[in-house]
Amino acid sequence: MDYLFTQAANGAVIGVIYALIAVGVTLIFSILKIVNFAHGDLYMLGGYCAYYVITLLGVPPLPALLAAMASVFALGIVLERLLLTPLYAERTERKDEYGLIVTFGLAFFLRNIALIAFGPFPLKPPSFSSGIQRLGNIIITNDRIFAGGAGLLLLAVLLYFMNRTIWGQALDAVSQSRDSAAIVGINPGRFNSLAFGVGAGLAAGAGALIAPIFSLAPDMGVSSNIQAYVIVILGGMGSVLGSILGGIVLGETEGLFTAFFPDPTRALAYTNAFGVLVLMIVLILRPTGLFGRRHVRME
Amino acid sequence: MRGLPVYVLLAATVTLLAYAHLLNSYWMHVAIIAMFYGILASSWSLLAGYAGLFSLGHMAFASLGGYASALLVQWYGIPIPFGMAAGVALCCAIGGLIGWVCLRMSGPYLAIFTLAFSEIVRITFSTEDQVTAGMAGLHTEPLFHSVSRLPYFFTAFGLLAFSLAVMGAIVHSRWGLFFRAVREDEQAAAASGVRVAQFRILAFAIASGFAGLAGGFYAHYIGILTPSLGSLDLMAVVVVMTIIGGMERIPTAVGGAFGVEILQELLRAYGQWRLVIFGIILLLTMRFARNGLLTPLWIQFVRLGEVRSVPPPPRDVGQEGSRI
Repeated sequence: MDYLFTQAANGAVIGVIYALIAVGVTLIFSILKIVNFAHGDLYMLGGYCAYYVITLLGVPPLPALLAAMASVFALGIVLERLLLTPLYAERTERKDEYGLIVTFGLAFFLRNIALIAFGPFPLKPPSFSSGIQRLGNIIITNDRIFAGGAGLLLLAVLLYFMNRTIWGQALDAVSQSRDSAAIVGINPGRFNSLAFGVGAGLAAGAGALIAPIFSLAPDMGVSSNIQAYVIVILGGMGSVLGSILGGIVLGETEGLFTAFFPDPTRALAYTNAFGVLVLMIVLILRPTGLFGRRHVRME
Repeated sequence: MRGLPVYVLLAATVTLLAYAHLLNSYWMHVAIIAMFYGILASSWSLLAGYAGLFSLGHMAFASLGGYASALLVQWYGIPIPFGMAAGVALCCAIGGLIGWVCLRMSGPYLAIFTLAFSEIVRITFSTEDQVTAGMAGLHTEPLFHSVSRLPYFFTAFGLLAFSLAVMGAIVHSRWGLFFRAVREDEQAAAASGVRVAQFRILAFAIASGFAGLAGGFYAHYIGILTPSLGSLDLMAVVVVMTIIGGMERIPTAVGGAFGVEILQELLRAYGQWRLVIFGIILLLTMRFARNGLLTPLWIQFVRLGEVRSVPPPPRDVGQEGSRI
C-alpha cells in the first residue's frame, strides 16, 4: 500500500513535468499551427544548459533554472525566425508538411549535436535540495518535491500570463484568427516568435527540473516528445488547461501502471507503450483529440 | 534522339553490374546498404511525396518484415524467399490496416499516430526478448553461404530494380495521378471521382510492403537483427535521404539515398559530425530548395536528347529592336 502511495506521489511530480512540456507543444500548435517535433530536444537542451551553468559557472541551482529557461527561450526565438518564417508566407504550399519536416529535421540536428557537445554518458547535476521527506511510510526526495512545486508555480505563472495579461490575450486572439488579430492591431509575426519562445522556455524549465531526478542524456527528448503528444492529444490540441490536466493524469497513470503491471521486469518498458497505445486509440476514435478546441485547426 | 536518358541509365547500370566484382568487400557492403536504403527512400517517397501521407512508421514496417521473415525461417525452416514474401505480405496487411484506421487523420496527426505505432513495435520487439532476443540481437539465417558479397550485391540490385519498376509503373499510371490528387486536396480529389479512402489505404499498403521487403533482405544479409532497425534515428536517416534528394520523385529519392550513404562512408573520419551536417543540409534544403537538391539535375537529365520544341528566334529581331 505504501508503495502505491509513493508511486502516486512520484507520478504526480512527473505529471507536472510532463504538463510543462505539453503546454509548450499546445501553445505552439495553437499559434503556429504546427506540431513541434523538436520539442523534446529543447527540453533536453534546457537540462544540459542548467547543468553547465551550475557546474561551470558555479551558480546555485535555482538561478541556473531561470538562466536555462531564458537561454532556451532566446534560442527558440532565433530558431523560429531562421526556420519557420515560410509558414506565414502566402506562397508556401502545404504548410503543415513544411512545419513537420523542418521540426523533425531540427530534432535530428539538435539530438546529434548534443551527442557531440555533451557526450553519450548520462550526466547528473547537483540536486536543488538534498535529503528526503517522510510522510508516514511514504518516502519522497526533496528534489521531487521541489520539481513538483516549481513546476506548479511555472504552470500557474503561465495560466496567469495567458488569461490575465494583455500579451496572453493577444496570443489567444492570434490563435483564434490571425487575420482578425491583425485588424485590431496585433502583429501576428511577433506573437509567433513569442509563442515558440515561451514553449521552448517551458520545456527547458522542465528539463532543468527533471535533471537532478533522472540524469541527462542526449536522447532523453525522444520519449518525452511522445509523452507530450499523448498529453496534448488527450487534453486537446490548443487547450492549455487540458494539457496541464492531461500531464498530471498521464504521470499518475504511468506511475500506477508500473506498480500494478503483473510482470515487474517488463513493467517499465511497457509503461511507455501504454501511454502510446492510449494515444493511438484516442486518435482513432477522435482524430483531433479528446477536447480539441474547435477553432484550433490546421490551415 | 528520344529515350536517350533511358539508354544512358541502362548503359550505366550494365557497366556497374559488369564491373561490380572489382569493388572491394567494403565498398560492396556500402553499395548493398545504399540499395537497401534506396528501396526504403523510394517507397517512403511514394507514401509521403506522392500521396502526401507523412508517415514516421516506415522503419517499423522494415523491422516487422525483417523479424517476421527471420522468425518464420527459424521456427518452421521454410526457405528464406518464402519467409521474405510472408514478411512483405504481413507488412502490406498491417500497412493497409494502419492506412485504414488513420483515414480521418491529416498531416501532423498522421505523423504522431505512425510515430506511436513505430514506438509500440520497437518497444514490443525489445521487451519480448524470449521471442526476439531483444536488444541482444536475433541471429538470422544468411541468404547465401558464400564468403563473397557478390550474390548479395546482385540480389539487392534485383530487389531495388524490381521495386523501382513496380513503383515507377504505379506512379506513371492513373494511380500515380490519383495519389497526387489526394495529396493536393482530398476534397477536390473526391469531388472529381477519386476514391480517396481506397487510394490512401493502397498507398500505405504498397509502401509498407516495400519497406518489409527491404527489412527482410536486410535481416538475412546482416545476420543479426535488433529492434533499433525500427528506431526513430533510422527513420530520420531515411527522411533526410529522401528530402535531400527530392521527395516528389522516386529517382531523386533513390539518388538521395545513394548520395547520403556514400557521403556517410567518405566522411567517416568526421564521426558523429556527419549526422549533424546532414541535419543542416536537410534544414537548408527545406528552407531554400524544397523540391530537393537532385530534382533540377534529374529534370535536366530527363530532357537530354529531347528535340528542342522551342522554335528558333526569328532573325533580325536584334536589329529591329535597335532601330526602334
